[in-house]
Amino acid sequence: MSLLELKNVSKIYGDLKALDNVSLHVDQGEWVAIMGPSGSGKSTMMNIIGCMDKPTMGEVLLDGVDISRESSKRLTDIRRDKIGLIFQQFHMVNYLTAVENVMVSQYYHSLPDEEEALEALGRVGLRERARHLPSQLSGGEQQRVCVARALINHPELILADEPTGNLDEANENIVLDLFAQLHKEGTTLIVVTHDPEVAEAAQRTIVLEHGKVAREVINENFGK
Amino acid sequence: MTKRRMFLRMVTASLLRRRSRMLIALLSIGIGATILAGLVTIYVDVPRQMGAQFRSYGANMLLLPQNGETLGSERLAEALRMIPEEALVGAAPYRYVRLDMTTRQQSFTAAGTDFSQITKTSPYFSVEGAYPSEPRQVLVGSGIADKIGVRVGSSMELTYQPTGSAGSQTSAESRAPGAVLSGKAEGFGGGLVYVTATLDGQSKIASVSVDASTQTPEYGGRVQEDEAFLNQLVGQSLPVALGDGVDALTGATVTSAAVVEALNQATAADAAARPRTLNFTVTGILTTGGEEEGYLFLSLQDMENLTGSDQLDVAELSVSANVDQLETYANAITESGGGVQARLVKRVAKSEASVLEKLTALVFLVTLVVLLLTMICVSTTMMAVVSERRREIGLRKALGASDGSIRAEFLGEGLFLGLLGGVMGAILGFVFAQVVSVNVFGSSITFQPLLLPATVIVSMIIAAASCLLPIKRAVAIDPAIVLKGE
Repeated sequence: MSLLELKNVSKIYGDLKALDNVSLHVDQGEWVAIMGPSGSGKSTMMNIIGCMDKPTMGEVLLDGVDISRESSKRLTDIRRDKIGLIFQQFHMVNYLTAVENVMVSQYYHSLPDEEEALEALGRVGLRERARHLPSQLSGGEQQRVCVARALINHPELILADEPTGNLDEANENIVLDLFAQLHKEGTTLIVVTHDPEVAEAAQRTIVLEHGKVAREVINENFGK
Repeated sequence: MTKRRMFLRMVTASLLRRRSRMLIALLSIGIGATILAGLVTIYVDVPRQMGAQFRSYGANMLLLPQNGETLGSERLAEALRMIPEEALVGAAPYRYVRLDMTTRQQSFTAAGTDFSQITKTSPYFSVEGAYPSEPRQVLVGSGIADKIGVRVGSSMELTYQPTGSAGSQTSAESRAPGAVLSGKAEGFGGGLVYVTATLDGQSKIASVSVDASTQTPEYGGRVQEDEAFLNQLVGQSLPVALGDGVDALTGATVTSAAVVEALNQATAADAAARPRTLNFTVTGILTTGGEEEGYLFLSLQDMENLTGSDQLDVAELSVSANVDQLETYANAITESGGGVQARLVKRVAKSEASVLEKLTALVFLVTLVVLLLTMICVSTTMMAVVSERRREIGLRKALGASDGSIRAEFLGEGLFLGLLGGVMGAILGFVFAQVVSVNVFGSSITFQPLLLPATVIVSMIIAAASCLLPIKRAVAIDPAIVLKGE
């Protein structure tokens, strides 16, 4: 069953076609990587899937709902309820501690629960760093807090934008291991990356070029 | 944990962990609130303060005798009772007469007054030396002092010439030989008995003649011829009394008494009409810059001794009240039928009202400007805060924050700042007002308990209003900025 389906989606900025008639689908529980050089339309696609932008043309069905026609207020609700976001810059609220940053996500979603937030931090191996401010955490630790924050509300879809872009190899592996765990638990993962190693960790890689799907690669080594 | 607790945790963390920026916003609100609270405190206190200031410019009400009436100390006291005790700053009675300084052949206007009241009704009086505190002391206007060259400690001989008196140069105590006294008194059956006496040089009776023709010739009529009765009067000092060197004529006691009474009345009338002289010591020289410098001031008792009368011409009142209240008091006094007429010194009363009005307008204007400046300052700071926190706001929105949540968070921070700034302002504002009051008005002010909540509420409103535009900016931030890290 497909969780996400793009049908003939185009995004046009003036003369530039950032996305040009793209169609693709992602099944429930699937782990998909999106690759492509700069300017290939990765970010635009990410914005549209993440309910932060709307396509100029085409339909985007997320969990059966066409998000290409929704108001931005509805999009906010959908994003909050269904999507967990992870960013390259490991964005955190810099005056809140690690656990408070996780709780912010709970706060907007439903109710803050410190115990649950601490558990999520434990899952990414940071329980004892819960009371630290972002400035007291390393880049890898910050990104792990972001993973904990993304999964705290049990989203249908985790959308990660260059999640390992600023990480060393050790931390990259920790994050990828976390993704593998989430995948095993049935979470759908879409990882935008230009790193072939990260792409290879996924089941399937979609390569974008000039706003179009250039090719799709099934990773035959997945899980091995 | 409830949403509200998390909300408070985020708001306080934002303020406490991002100190420097928030300190500026807090400072601008705090300073604004300080000036606001200070001005309002002064504003509330100003009428009282100004009232006290204006009382120092002199009396604002006059009490005068109504037409055909006289003003005595009892009537004055009765009129003063119609003014609330706490409002009456002072009431100085005045009796004006011309007194001669015989040694200089000059005459001056002299005012009999109550010096303890003058210091209250005319605080601008500047005295070199001291106010008179004992009988026979005089305060001399500097104009007179310059003219006749008297100083503190000099003595002055002052004479009161009753109207219609002969203007004789003799002292009050003795009369020239040959002076004549004549009087009349009711004798037996209501008939008048006339007596004429001549005096010797020691004010004793030298000769006396009686006209008792209205009396029964066999009884009272005899006194005008009875040598023994008449002779016993010669050599007596006036006034005389029956049984004290003077015996009534047997069978004519009523007429005898009439003779004595006529003599004594004549003496009293003569005394009243005679110029009286008292010797005074100058205790102080008065400088006012006004016409008072041409006056002499003595106590009411000395004035009564000189003139033989305790009537007053006017009383100057200093009343702590606004124009409307003053008019109410004045009307009550005038219409009470006590023979006293009250008038406002319009110049003082009105100028007090107009200065207060202008001051009120000025405080209002300054308050408005301060509020505006505070708003601009807080608004600018919050604007900077918003652009500084663009990414964080974008992140919050990406995490699912609605526009309402973003608004609530910034408004929460603004209100919290307003609360802190307001408390700070209320306290510092009182200190500020106290310093101003002590330095400008020379008196301290009382803390208005209502000022604390009022300042806090106003500060919070100002802070919230200042956040409106920055919040609009914050809400407009696109969550997509968090992607790809700009």
